[in-house]
Amino acid sequence: MTNGTHISEEDLALHALQALTAEESAAVQAHVAECEVCRAELAAATGDLALVALSTEPQPLPEGARDRFLSRIAEDAKQAGAHPKLAKIIPFNPAAVSRVSVWAPKVAVAALLIIAAGLSWEVMHLDMRLRRETAVLRSMTEKNARAQAVVDVLTAPAAQRVLLTAAKTPPAPSGRAVYLPSTGALIFQGNNLASLPADKTYELWVIPANGSAPIPAGLFRPDATGNASVVLPELPKGVPAKAFGVTVEKASGSDTPTAPILLAGAAPTAGE
Amino acid sequence: MAMAEVFDRYGGLVYSVALRVLKEPAQAEDVMQDIFFQLWKGAGTYTEGRGSLGAWLAVVARNRAIDSLRRRKPTDSVEDVVLPAKTDLSSETERNLMIEKVREVMKELPAEQQRLVELAFFEGMSHTEIAAKTGDALGTVKTRIRSALMSLRKGVQG
Repeated sequence: MTNGTHISEEDLALHALQALTAEESAAVQAHVAECEVCRAELAAATGDLALVALSTEPQPLPEGARDRFLSRIAEDAKQAGAHPKLAKIIPFNPAAVSRVSVWAPKVAVAALLIIAAGLSWEVMHLDMRLRRETAVLRSMTEKNARAQAVVDVLTAPAAQRVLLTAAKTPPAPSGRAVYLPSTGALIFQGNNLASLPADKTYELWVIPANGSAPIPAGLFRPDATGNASVVLPELPKGVPAKAFGVTVEKASGSDTPTAPILLAGAAPTAGE
Repeated sequence: MAMAEVFDRYGGLVYSVALRVLKEPAQAEDVMQDIFFQLWKGAGTYTEGRGSLGAWLAVVARNRAIDSLRRRKPTDSVEDVVLPAKTDLSSETERNLMIEKVREVMKELPAEQQRLVELAFFEGMSHTEIAAKTGDALGTVKTRIRSALMSLRKGVQG
């Protein structure tokens, strides 16, 4: 079910459709709770389902459906009125209510209750919003700490870097780039790279999607175990990438890549 | 937004989705009433972080209607339904434009993909049930459903 370290997009779509078995769904849910990438992909798949729902031919509501709903929530608001917390936030005017309850027809009381219900909804909504914004602030603080922890792990000389491959397969040089075009943020990690003579260096390249010249994205040399990383090199913002490449250049680097390209990887197109 | 306004704006959408699944007006109205009542009761079940309210309600309506169709307890909590924040259906014009686009793209899908979407989305069949019904391999069912959803996403974005 997992594709490398993530749930496959097919299975995430099926999970959103509730089309997996209970066991499969539980496994997806457990993974998604821990994995931001899969959580985002699941949200996107659910967005796709909303589109399918929108293809439904519109049907008129059954007669009286609106009144039945408003009566139901009015009744609920009336009951909630006995609750001290709700009684506090529903802005009743006691005098008005007293007059209405004595003299006005029942329908007018119901109307007042609906208005009160609407107001209590607004109050609850504002309260929710405040709690939400507090939660967002907390979440951002946590995210910053997490991002720092990620960078620390990726760049720590003492970190153990292990590439898992099929048994008896000699490890081949590889690299993984994570790139955010809108901010020009790039993190690259290379593994199993051959060591180079002192007058040579590896150079990372961003190949822009618009066909313009490759952009140098940092020089690096592997450590004794063949690992290397490039973290947040200076890059222009807003340049979608078609691909990434690694070449060997002279020690001071180069403005244009020199063949051959040792490592190359195509970036997924938007929406993939 | 007051609850009556929410109902006026999205009641038709929720009811239409439920009716398409259940094909029975009284049951569809029950599903719709319950969804809006839950929204009213538990204001915390929906937050802006879960994407557009309209899109969120459309998915919740489908899930609840399938639960009702299969006479089972809700299989997920509404809190589990999260959409991308960019889905915006708040204005009537945006919604109508989006609906037009979606219908066009749906019509252009290959017939077998349309059928799988119908079985999975509107009939609530699992991938194994679909594979058994159509005689397709499980992997084919998965790939076709995913391809249909991707075509829809790209068609609407494009």
